[in-house]
Amino acid sequence: MTGAALAAMSDVAVATPLFVDSLLDFLDPGTLASVFVDGLSKAALYVMITAGLTLIFGLMGVLNFAHGSLTMIGAYAGGLVLVVLVSDSTGSVARIGAFFAAVAVVFALLAVAGAGIEMKLVRPLYDRNPLYQILLTFGLTLVLDELVEIIVHFYGIQPTHEWQAAMATKPAFLTATYSLLGLSVVGLDLFEIAFGVLTVVAVWAFLTRTRYGLYIRAGSEDSEMTEALGINVRRAFTVVFGLGVGIAAVAGVLLAWDVTWGASVPLAAETLLPAFVVVIVGGLGTFRGTVAAAIIVGLVDATMTWWFQNVVDFPGLPEMTIFLILVVMLVVRPQGLFGVAEVGGH
Amino acid sequence: MTALRSYLRRRVVLVALVAFLGAYPGLHNLLVSSPVGTELALVLPRVETMVSVFYFGLFAMSFDFVSGYTGYLSFGHAAFFGTGAYTVILVANGKIPFLASSTPFMLSLLLGAVLAVMLALLIGAVSFRLSGVYFAMITLGFAQVLYVFVRNWDYLSSNPRDGMSVLEHPAGFEVGVPGIDALNLQIASADFVGETISMGWIQLSAAEVSYYMVGLVVLACYLAMRRALRSPFGRTMVAIRENEERARAIGYDTFRYKLGAFTVSAFFAAIAGGLFAGYARSVTPENTFFFLVSGDALLAAILGGFGTLAGPLLGRLFHESLSEFLSDQAGGPHIDVGQLGLLPYLRQTLGESTLATELYNGFTVGEFVEVFVNGHESLYLGVLFVLFVFYVPNGLLGSVQDRLGGTVGSELPAAVRRLWGRYRTELPTTIRRLWGR
Repeated sequence: MTGAALAAMSDVAVATPLFVDSLLDFLDPGTLASVFVDGLSKAALYVMITAGLTLIFGLMGVLNFAHGSLTMIGAYAGGLVLVVLVSDSTGSVARIGAFFAAVAVVFALLAVAGAGIEMKLVRPLYDRNPLYQILLTFGLTLVLDELVEIIVHFYGIQPTHEWQAAMATKPAFLTATYSLLGLSVVGLDLFEIAFGVLTVVAVWAFLTRTRYGLYIRAGSEDSEMTEALGINVRRAFTVVFGLGVGIAAVAGVLLAWDVTWGASVPLAAETLLPAFVVVIVGGLGTFRGTVAAAIIVGLVDATMTWWFQNVVDFPGLPEMTIFLILVVMLVVRPQGLFGVAEVGGH
Repeated sequence: MTALRSYLRRRVVLVALVAFLGAYPGLHNLLVSSPVGTELALVLPRVETMVSVFYFGLFAMSFDFVSGYTGYLSFGHAAFFGTGAYTVILVANGKIPFLASSTPFMLSLLLGAVLAVMLALLIGAVSFRLSGVYFAMITLGFAQVLYVFVRNWDYLSSNPRDGMSVLEHPAGFEVGVPGIDALNLQIASADFVGETISMGWIQLSAAEVSYYMVGLVVLACYLAMRRALRSPFGRTMVAIRENEERARAIGYDTFRYKLGAFTVSAFFAAIAGGLFAGYARSVTPENTFFFLVSGDALLAAILGGFGTLAGPLLGRLFHESLSEFLSDQAGGPHIDVGQLGLLPYLRQTLGESTLATELYNGFTVGEFVEVFVNGHESLYLGVLFVLFVFYVPNGLLGSVQDRLGGTVGSELPAAVRRLWGRYRTELPTTIRRLWGR
C-alpha cells in the first residue's frame, strides 16, 4: 500500500468522527431552531419570487423567462419609492408605512405593465410552438436588463452592486437581533416570514374564495371547456399575467431590503434560477406545490448554509444543492411534488 | 479528376464562401486602406473579431445541431463549452494527472471533447426521459450545478471565481497535426505575441494566422456536422423533431438517436470551448459554464436560423459586428487606419461642436450617444431578437431557404442559372426592341 493511500485512509478515519461531531452539533435543538427560522425566511422569499411564475405557467403554459427581470425592476422601483419617502429623520413605523406604500405602488405599476406585455407581446404567440414563448420572454430579459442598466447608470448608481440607498431605508428594528425563546433571530427574517405568509394567504384566498379565482382554476384544468362555458379565458390570461408580474415585483421590493440580495441588475438572474427550481420541484402550475417546494428548498438552503459555515469548506454548497434538488426531482418525479403529468393541456 | 470537379460543382456555394472567407483578411486590409476606409472599418468586423465569430459560431452550431434538428432545447449547453475550455487550460497548467503541460493543443482539445461526450452521455441518459420545458430545465440544472462547482473548486486556481489562465505553457497553442512541427501554427489573441508568417509576398500577422487556423478547425467541424445531418441519422433527428411518436411507431429507437445527437453536439461544443480557451488563454466561469452563454448560442441560432446548420454562425457574426460597432474602444496598436466603434467615429467626423449640441435640458448629443448607444449592444440585440421571434421566426438563413425552396447550397446555383437563362433569352429581344424604336 502506498503512502498516499494510507494518508487518504487516515484522512477518512479523522473525517468520520468529525462528521459525527458536526452532526451532533447540527442536531442541537438551538441550532436546529435557528436553521429552521432561517430556512423559513428563505422559503418566504422563494414563495414570493415563484408564485407569479407558477400561476402564469399553470393557466397559459408560458414559462416566463422575464420573471427575474421583473423582480429586479420591482426592487429598483420599490427602492426608488422608499428613497423618496424616507429621510434620515423618518421614524421606524413611518418607514414600514413607506414600505407598504412602495409595495402598493410597485404592485399596481408592474401589474399593469404585465397585463400590457401579455396583451401586446405574448398573445400573438399562443398559436405557435411553446418554444417561441420561451424565446420571446428571453428576449425581453435582454431588453429589460439593459434598459434598467442604462437608467441606473445614468443616475450614477452602480448597476452590478446592491443599491445601498434603498437598503439604508430599512428601519433599525429590522436589522436588530432578538432573542426569542432562547434563540437569536434577526428582525428582517421575521418580517419576511410574516410577509410571505401574508402573500400566500392572499393568493390562496384569491384562487379559492373569489369568482375570478374559480375561473383561473377552471382555465388551468381545461381552458377549452371553460371557454365553452362562456367564460372569457383570454381576459383571465391577461389578469393572471398582470397579477403574476405584480407579485414578482413585490418580492423585489422586499429583496431591496435584504442584505444577501439587494437591488442590482444581476438580481434578475439570481432570482430567476431558484424560482425555476422551486416551480419545477413543486410541479409546474400548482400553487400548493410551489408553497411546499419553497419551504423544502428554503430549509435545505438554510441547512446547507449552516454546514458550509461550520463544517464543509466549499462556498458553493448551498447553491449547488439547490440545483441538485432540481435534477433529482426531475429524475424521480418529473411532474413535481403536486404536479399532474399534463398541466393545463400543455 | 472529373469526380472531384463534380463534387465541387455540387458544392459551389460552399466553395465560394470558403474562398471568400479565405480572402477576407487580405480584402479587409485592402478595403480599410481605401478612401472610404474609416467608414468601412466601422462596419466590417476585424480579423480578431472574426476569430471569436468562428469559435463561438461553432458552439452555436453545435447547440443548433441538437436543439434545432431534434427540437429538444438544450439550455445547459454551456456545460460542454466549459468542459472543453477548462480542459485545455487545466492540461496547459499541468493540473491533469499523467499529462505534461507541454501536451499538444490538438490532443487536449480532443481530450476535452471526449470528456464532454462522457458528460453528455451521463446528462442525456437522465434528461431524455423528459421532453419540452422539462428537458430544457433539467439540462439547465445540470449546467448550473457544474457552474457553481467550477466557481468554487479551489483546485482549479487560487481564486476559482475569477476563473483561471494559462500559467505554465509559455508558447502559443499550436493548431495542426500533432508531432509534425511544420504542420503546426500558433493561435493567439491580440494581447499575446503569436506567430507571424512571411512567405514571399504573403505576410500574415499573428491575428491572421489565428484566423486561418481556428477557421480550419471550425470548417472541418462544420463539414462533419453537415455530413451527419445528411446521413440517415440526421434524417431521423428531423423526424423526431417533426413527430416523435410517429418516428417511434415506425420502429426507430428515438431515445438512442436523441442521445446520439446530444453527444455529437457536446463533442463539437467542447471543441469550440477549447478553441476559445486556446485563443484567449484565460477563462472565467461566467464566459464558459454560465447559463447566459447558452443564451448567447440561442440568440445566434434564432437570428441566423433555427434548424439550419450555418445559420448560427451568421447570427453570431451579426452579434459580434453589432457589439463592435457600438463599442466605444478606440482601435488598438494593431489597427492603423481609422478607429473602432461609433463614438470615436462620430467624434472624428461630426466634430465636438455637433456632439455638444443640446438636445433637451442640457442633455447633449454626445451624452445621448454615450448613454444609449455605447456598449449597449444587448439592448438592440434584444429588441431585434424579439422582432425576429415575431416576424422572422425562421431566422436569416431559414427565411432565405424558405424563399428558395431548399438549402442555399443546392437551390441558389439553380436559381441563378434560371435567372441567367431567362436573361440570356430575353436580353437580345429587349435590346432589339429598344433599338428598333
